[in-house]
Amino acid sequence: MIEVVLNDRLGKKVRVKCNEDDTIGDLKKLAAAQTGTRADKIRIQKWYNIYKDHITLKDYEIHDGMGLELYYN
Amino acid sequence: MANRTDPLAKSIHGTNPQNLVEKIVRSKIYQNTYWKEQCFGLTAETLVDKAMELDHLGGTFGGNRRPTPFICLVMKMLQIQPDKDIVVEFIKNEDYKYVRILGAFYMRLTGTVTDVYQYLEPLYNDYRKLRRKTSEGSFSLTHVDEVIDELLTKDYSCDIALPRVQKRWTLETTGVLEPRKSVLDEDFEEEEEEKEEEEQAALEDDTHEKDYHGRSPTRDRERDRKRDKQYRDRDRDRDRDYDRDYPRGRERDRDRDRDRDRDRDRDRHRLRDERDYGRERDRDREWEGRDRDRDRRDRDRGRRRSRSRSRSRDRRERDRDDVDHRKRRARGSTSPHRRPEDDINSREEQLKKKKEKKEKKSDGTDHPDPEIAEANRLRASLGLAPLK
Repeated sequence: MIEVVLNDRLGKKVRVKCNEDDTIGDLKKLAAAQTGTRADKIRIQKWYNIYKDHITLKDYEIHDGMGLELYYN
Repeated sequence: MANRTDPLAKSIHGTNPQNLVEKIVRSKIYQNTYWKEQCFGLTAETLVDKAMELDHLGGTFGGNRRPTPFICLVMKMLQIQPDKDIVVEFIKNEDYKYVRILGAFYMRLTGTVTDVYQYLEPLYNDYRKLRRKTSEGSFSLTHVDEVIDELLTKDYSCDIALPRVQKRWTLETTGVLEPRKSVLDEDFEEEEEEKEEEEQAALEDDTHEKDYHGRSPTRDRERDRKRDKQYRDRDRDRDRDYDRDYPRGRERDRDRDRDRDRDRDRDRHRLRDERDYGRERDRDREWEGRDRDRDRRDRDRGRRRSRSRSRSRDRRERDRDDVDHRKRRARGSTSPHRRPEDDINSREEQLKKKKEKKEKKSDGTDHPDPEIAEANRLRASLGLAPLK
């Protein structure tokens, strides 16, 4: 179980607990539940790399405590 | 300058019509090449030509959320605001299904509630296939009546938040709309009559087994005609709901018989019926035990689907569902809607539910750490495995 930090730099900073084998899509759903936006409106990036929905966190090498950028579609 | 709404255009739902589309999606559309090249200086007539060239519908797709031509044309229609007659022409035309869908979508966004139901419901009878672009960028198959159903029941489609429309039965009770008359009604009545005749024949002849396979040939033909069974049943379920409400005074018994017969056949499909107004009808039905179970399942599903932002509400919902959970947390209050547990039927179902819940607890919702238990509950509600 890892904890990922999603920050949109405009005031929304969300800590999401998830598994390593969760996909980005699942992470978006969890983040949506916490922030209150819709899951399909969320975009997770790391410096111009837009993370795709069907790939797991493990494959993206996202570790515990790592920060990701939260953008909106 | 090209992106400004026609100054003569009326405001829709109290706002600039283009504002019906959200800011981010709107910006994406304005930056799109299709919009800049093809949609510049379109009028109502030239818009028709562009609409005829459409070959798929959808919202935005891909990682950077590119808009589809469909949604660009929707935006263009919002910008130039064609007359209602033109939009109705779009909807009524039979040849070009994407033009139809475009008209229907625009009507859903801008029309009044009565207009929406009046013009979109005839499209339920259109079973043609459509190509839909998903948000990943691939295509999926859908049908005209599915899309219309989505427009009338959901509040979000093709990346545009649809304005609220009241439920159909609200409008029926206030008398604004007529109860829905489906094309399938005559077929139901035929089948009903045939079943009655069959039952009479069965009473007379002891050896005659009730053969439900012996359905009317019209019905079989009907089945071949329809593409997807689930959506046919959904449509029929909806009809059943309307029919049950409508002839309340006069033909109540007849409808009850009809419904009872239908229940037998379509119980399994009933569980899939997720519409709100179906739930109210459930209470009227005779088979209470089964209804209660279904009621509970439907309601629970509905509750989970409702976007519960606050975590405490999630917790409370779970407590209502799980008797053991409630005892453990020592929350004595039960919601007023909770059925009395003295009922024998519901007790059996509770035992069943307890078994289900016990399996579910291996999901991790009973984790000693409350934060993790909470997270697991949320995950279970989203359909994800528990935390490791």
